[in-house]
Amino acid sequence: MSKKMKLLLATGLAGLVLASPALAENMLRISYPEDPKTADVQMTTDAYTLPLNIFDRLVESETTGPGQSALVPGLAESWEVSDDGLTYTFHLRAGVRFHDGAELTADDVVYTFDRMLNPATKALNTDILTFIAGSQERLDGTADSVSGLKALDELTVQITLTQPYAAFLALLASPGASVYDRDFTESAGDQFGLTPETTNGTGPFILRDYTLNDSQMLEANEDYWRGRPKLDRLLVRVVADSETLRLLFETDELDVFDLDYAPTQTPYFYGSDQWKEQVRSGPRVGIYYYAINQLKKPFDDARVRKAFQMAIDRQTILDKNFYGKGMLEDGVMPRGLACYTPATPIEYNPARARELLAEAGYPDGVEINLQQVSSWSTKWSDMNQIIQAQVAEAGFKANIVVTDEAAFLAARKTGEAEAYTQVWSADFNDPDNFFYTFFSESGSKVRGYNNNDPEVFAAIETARGMTDQAARCKLYQDLTARIVDTDAAWVPLFSLDHSYVVQARVKNFVVPWNGWSDMSYYKVEVE
Amino acid sequence: MLMFALRRILVSIPVLIGITLILFIMLNVVPGDPIALMMKEHASADVIERVRQQMHLDDPLITRYLSFLWDALHGDLGKSIKLNRPVTDLILKAFPNTLMLAVSAALVSWVVGIPVGILSAVRRDSFLDRFFMGFSLLGVSMPIFWSALLLQYVFAMKLRLLPVSGFYGWQYMILPAIVLGWSSAGVIARLMRSSLLEVMRLDYIRTARAKGLRETGVITRHALKNALIPVVTIMAIQVAGLLSGAVITEAIFSIPGVGRITVNAISSRDMPLLQGAVLFATVLVILGNLVADILYSVLDPRIRAQMRNET
Repeated sequence: MSKKMKLLLATGLAGLVLASPALAENMLRISYPEDPKTADVQMTTDAYTLPLNIFDRLVESETTGPGQSALVPGLAESWEVSDDGLTYTFHLRAGVRFHDGAELTADDVVYTFDRMLNPATKALNTDILTFIAGSQERLDGTADSVSGLKALDELTVQITLTQPYAAFLALLASPGASVYDRDFTESAGDQFGLTPETTNGTGPFILRDYTLNDSQMLEANEDYWRGRPKLDRLLVRVVADSETLRLLFETDELDVFDLDYAPTQTPYFYGSDQWKEQVRSGPRVGIYYYAINQLKKPFDDARVRKAFQMAIDRQTILDKNFYGKGMLEDGVMPRGLACYTPATPIEYNPARARELLAEAGYPDGVEINLQQVSSWSTKWSDMNQIIQAQVAEAGFKANIVVTDEAAFLAARKTGEAEAYTQVWSADFNDPDNFFYTFFSESGSKVRGYNNNDPEVFAAIETARGMTDQAARCKLYQDLTARIVDTDAAWVPLFSLDHSYVVQARVKNFVVPWNGWSDMSYYKVEVE
Repeated sequence: MLMFALRRILVSIPVLIGITLILFIMLNVVPGDPIALMMKEHASADVIERVRQQMHLDDPLITRYLSFLWDALHGDLGKSIKLNRPVTDLILKAFPNTLMLAVSAALVSWVVGIPVGILSAVRRDSFLDRFFMGFSLLGVSMPIFWSALLLQYVFAMKLRLLPVSGFYGWQYMILPAIVLGWSSAGVIARLMRSSLLEVMRLDYIRTARAKGLRETGVITRHALKNALIPVVTIMAIQVAGLLSGAVITEAIFSIPGVGRITVNAISSRDMPLLQGAVLFATVLVILGNLVADILYSVLDPRIRAQMRNET
């Protein structure tokens, strides 16, 4: 190639270089692995980045330290709970305005929760409100309003429960309890949350652009009641491919690299001289576990389950598959959760496991199935494979059964699913979020029949209503012993840290208390 | 010609209906519940049951199919279960992106594939021929996710000349167009080469040469016209294929196109959206074939005569 040609080519190509979207601006650029579908939090149970930044809740769960949180006043500046634990009275902050300028009133709060329970909404997040008196009638369509929801005056909301529920306040701080404006939301109808024009909240950011499968652009709410956010704009890009994600981050087209979306990059970033100082890591109030279907032989026998617990070398998995970034967990409650105390450590002892199998009538070992969902990330298949190899030493011949997610969920519902490994992170800071989800009668049915102990069912219902927090914590600790040690109903594995890598210009980036990828960016700054 | 086109379009209507019916049955045989998938680990049995009823997912299959068909005939493809937006909107909004990708990839493949094929044929068995054919074999056989990553690494990460991924201007189109175009350029180049070689053996080429025409004239004026016929057919079908979504390319380069929608719809068992996307792709492929046939007849008078006889 002649020199002239080379020069021509070089200048031509250089001309193509495009300044990545607004680097110079006071904008934070983050990513999400799939489109969030909507900002309407009543219609989603997992995509919470938009709701957490566009809306506020009556009470907020604020991160106070690594893995620590506190409930702080949000749209409600104060509240009272009646002595019987049934009536909650919230006093709203005066002068809070929605993005469209409308003022927040008690009626908006009543409307928001009623909308969630209104069958016409077809909401998915209704679970958080089922303690409110009259919620069931509203859901069933036998009532036109919720009897437990009342606006006492312009700024006072009263919520009555059917039974005391200790975790109710924590639940109201979860994203699903975001507050909407009645007039706006009613007129937006089923389009609410789908476009900038049909989205309106009180939160620190305003939705300005929403391109499906591409990006969402949020802009600072200048009149935010807690004061304007530090960022001018927040860009959320949809990036499905993890290699692309890393390239985007390394070419400075993204400010935050969430290692949850690309866990195999962990050693690279932790080992890179350029990046290791930029890693932000925090514990996650979440637990990796094996849920065991007790309807399936040989797992109907507690001794076999116990043997399975003891046959897994959890520390090795943590070190090899997750680069040692986490801690072993031995109970139902992961560290960081309210009421947490360390549970009795589960010993890794394949010889003892083998004995237990023999006691259970399987002296020559036994065949078991482990469920693998094809569309889940490779970390799950890697875990299944390493566990398959580990438990062989104790005499388990583990088969890995691969299905797609839809088939798995269908099988889990009918009790046909095999033992499977997954992770659960706290939606709200209360043990009920773990115990009820997995070991209540209804929860255990959804989770693939991983508990079959009527006394545990009953105790979990009792614990929900207890108002004496110390006694309640004690009950949860006792239940942990019963579920994990006695029944061996599940296999706690470990909790992982959640690590992010951020560009040097990003300041005040704090891993949220629960370790979620979805968080509020209100306090984050860029230089 | 018009009659021929009209007839072909009419014939394709039962094809379309047949495809929707097959798809509808298949999707209902495959296990999986869109609501459960939407709620993932937060799924609770009560909520799933309730929302299923509210969305009429529990109605009998035949009722749902007929109401889909009735609405589709009125131009309404329904609403996506997961995205809660009208299917037609979703597809029409994603289509321009896919169209842009398809057209630029097609241009790359033609601009590269046709000249390369001609040169290889003319310089048959030379070093150039071997090099070009090796290069096109590489294009055909290299998986897109690999060539994409390679180009991203070199041009975006190392040289910092082009953006990695996204869709915010024409610069963002270059890498995906090259990646996608490269693989189809390989096909076109190889087809062009073999087709031209075949034509060059025919008598009328010998006659042209005997007349004393220069070699370039022989190729451009005589050989190429006939040699292009199979290439054009492939090109038209290729474009139709590209238009129904280049799934992997769209995912790697974060292009919000039809392919992404289709894949999401499959994995989330979003029936209305998938129906719409498949219907759309079917129409495109039928149209692509029609265009190929028409082009064929324009290029080849024998086919034209045959068509006249048929209609």
